Amino acid sequence: MNDLTLIRKNLFRKKLRAILLTLSILIAFLIFGVLGAFYKVWNSGAELAADNRLVTVNRINFTVTMPYAYWGRIQAVEGVEAASFANWFGGYYQEPTRQVQTFAVDPESYLNVYPELVFEPEQRAAFIANRTCLAVGRDIADFYGWSLGDRIPLLSNIWQKSDGSSSWEFDICAVFDGREDYPANYAMFHYEYYNEDLAFNQDQIGWIVIQTQSADLNASVADAIDTMFANSPAETETATEAAFSEGFANQFGNIALILLFVVGSAFSTILIIVGFTMVTAINERTGEIAVMKTLGFPAPRIFRMVLSESVMLSLVGGLLGLGLAWGMVTLIAAAPGVSAFLPGLSMPQNVFIAGVGLAVLLGLLTGIIPAINAQRVKIVTALGKQ
Amino acid sequence: MFKQIGAVTMINLRSIPQRAGLSLATIISIALVTGVLLGFLAMSNGFRATLQGTGSDNVAVALRAGSQAELNSGLSSEDVRLIEEAPGVARDSEGRPLVSGELYVIVDGTKRASGTDANLPLRGVGPQALSLREGFEMVEGRMFEPGTNELVVGASVLREFSGFDLGETIRLGSNEWVVVGIFSTGGSVFESEIWADIAVIQNLYNRGTAVQSVRARLTSVEAIEDLRAWEEDEPRVNLDIESETDFFASQAGGTAVLIEFVGWPLAIIMAIGALAGAWNTMYSSVDTRMREIATLRAIGFSGFAAAVGTMVESLVLAALGGLVGALAIYLLFNGVSASTLGSGFTQVVFSFAVTGGSVIAGMVMAVVIGFFGGLVPAIRSAYVPLLTVHRSE
Repeated sequence: MNDLTLIRKNLFRKKLRAILLTLSILIAFLIFGVLGAFYKVWNSGAELAADNRLVTVNRINFTVTMPYAYWGRIQAVEGVEAASFANWFGGYYQEPTRQVQTFAVDPESYLNVYPELVFEPEQRAAFIANRTCLAVGRDIADFYGWSLGDRIPLLSNIWQKSDGSSSWEFDICAVFDGREDYPANYAMFHYEYYNEDLAFNQDQIGWIVIQTQSADLNASVADAIDTMFANSPAETETATEAAFSEGFANQFGNIALILLFVVGSAFSTILIIVGFTMVTAINERTGEIAVMKTLGFPAPRIFRMVLSESVMLSLVGGLLGLGLAWGMVTLIAAAPGVSAFLPGLSMPQNVFIAGVGLAVLLGLLTGIIPAINAQRVKIVTALGKQ
Repeated sequence: MFKQIGAVTMINLRSIPQRAGLSLATIISIALVTGVLLGFLAMSNGFRATLQGTGSDNVAVALRAGSQAELNSGLSSEDVRLIEEAPGVARDSEGRPLVSGELYVIVDGTKRASGTDANLPLRGVGPQALSLREGFEMVEGRMFEPGTNELVVGASVLREFSGFDLGETIRLGSNEWVVVGIFSTGGSVFESEIWADIAVIQNLYNRGTAVQSVRARLTSVEAIEDLRAWEEDEPRVNLDIESETDFFASQAGGTAVLIEFVGWPLAIIMAIGALAGAWNTMYSSVDTRMREIATLRAIGFSGFAAAVGTMVESLVLAALGGLVGALAIYLLFNGVSASTLGSGFTQVVFSFAVTGGSVIAGMVMAVVIGFFGGLVPAIRSAYVPLLTVHRSE
């Protein structure tokens, strides 16, 4: 009989207790895993941002537009590799509640600055060539059941045509994907097609996306752009794509802090429950440990065995919890419509690895006091007790 | 019978200190679960209370049909003039219609908590705007002078955003503004706004004479139907008309429900973990008192009494946990100010509100954990074999 068998037998000597402890550990790691996966989606804007991509918006606020001419002037700034722009369409399909994230763009330059968007070559060409084309992200197309060749009307809750209607007709001529985790949950169309009919706010754009020649030039390019438009009626604010996404996510509140509170509560709970139970469990075995010592088990070996026992317990619970989290996240991600709202939902590897690390840490923390107690057991006092 | 139950229960409760560690673990774990639930509910209730406390049944809000939000809407001065003449619209003592055409521009403010920029509504208002907001008062300073670059900020904006103190100069885009007053509307959404003269904003933002929303005081709550009927028949306007109460109540829905949809499942899953912990504690409790229970049974106490004693112990620990959790959340979070992006696409400042209803929900959850955690151990304690008395540990 080696130590491992002994540890295992000890751990499961009271089966119900072992199962209950495993269950409470499992729950904490389930919460950790699932929230970790959701947080990754939440943060994906900043994480997926290219490090040499900048976003220029109106300095008043990104919802305020700026002149179309800015696009041309920015392309001429030193250090700018390419630039494109977009305007928010506020689109919906049939019902105001069926919103479709839609941008009015200049197709060719837009696809240049977003190499993450994957098009079939002929569809890419069709999108660039066809004025009434709507390029639809795979997730949106799946959600609404649209396919190539469909002619659909999209309504805008902001813009109006000069005839007073808010409906634009589009031909779906491209369905695009996102590379790896890049979201494909929006649609886009020709700015020209939309702009020529606008009843108001013509020749205005929402934001400009800039690819710099190198990330080292980001600061100088941003500075040059904002200086160029200083003291004009539409001053600008240029930031890296990551900073812009992060700033927007921050508008909802400190989500990271809230998650930290929740995960912290979950782990405090198991730390306390498992910690006290381990102390009790080892105390119950004082007599046995004394016998083991009498048989010649050295103190360090007993210390290691008790510590291994708690690490094993927390690894079993932790791995089961992380596994369950992985299963749940996969199930949620596969549910219809989810990918349109939570693009790229999956179990992140680093969350999993961090989870395993936490499990080992939890095992060490909950086992250290019982292990020290066990190591210190004096044969005479322990056996004399009975 | 009841005497027996009472006696066993007292023995159980008095012996809790002997199992201090595990009992404390149960109390703390249930406190944490209750705390998480109440934290989320306090957030959702606070947000909802702010939006539902905004608006009046006597005020109608008109937006361009299909625009859904003030930000997206656009109306002409002709629309405003027509609404002024519409049926159901109240007039002041001098016969002027109580109608306010307003402009809504989103500007950046810097959040105190994170130091990052967030959307704030800059509302352009005319002289009638005040008569359409009940409870409006200047807390500090004075109202802006029409035609100047002066503005007044809501008390909530001041609390959550930096740079808006009285007398400060603020740069919004290329324009500079001076804060001349702080106003309150009794904690409603309007306090999360900045107000300036509508004519100045129309001019600075090239809006001509256009507005984005029109508010009108109604002659009575029912008069909104007259106004709607008028809109149907009037070919020159194309509006969505809603009572102000409904307008804000519908905005409360999304965010508040979302917070609850996150909070409840999390709390329930955590509750299962705490349940396992409570079960474990009660199991140990019965375990260590095997001989004691057997002795009681031997001298004539019923198994039922032993079971009730165990169950009460579990319920007491759980209720204590629930109370500790609720109290901690109340002390830590009640009244704490926070802000999030509302459906108007601007920040809504609200205060966490720990309500009686949510405390009851939390306590119920705590007691349910205690009940199920104690159930099996209680049954077990009812069936302790009498011979255990002789067993030497």
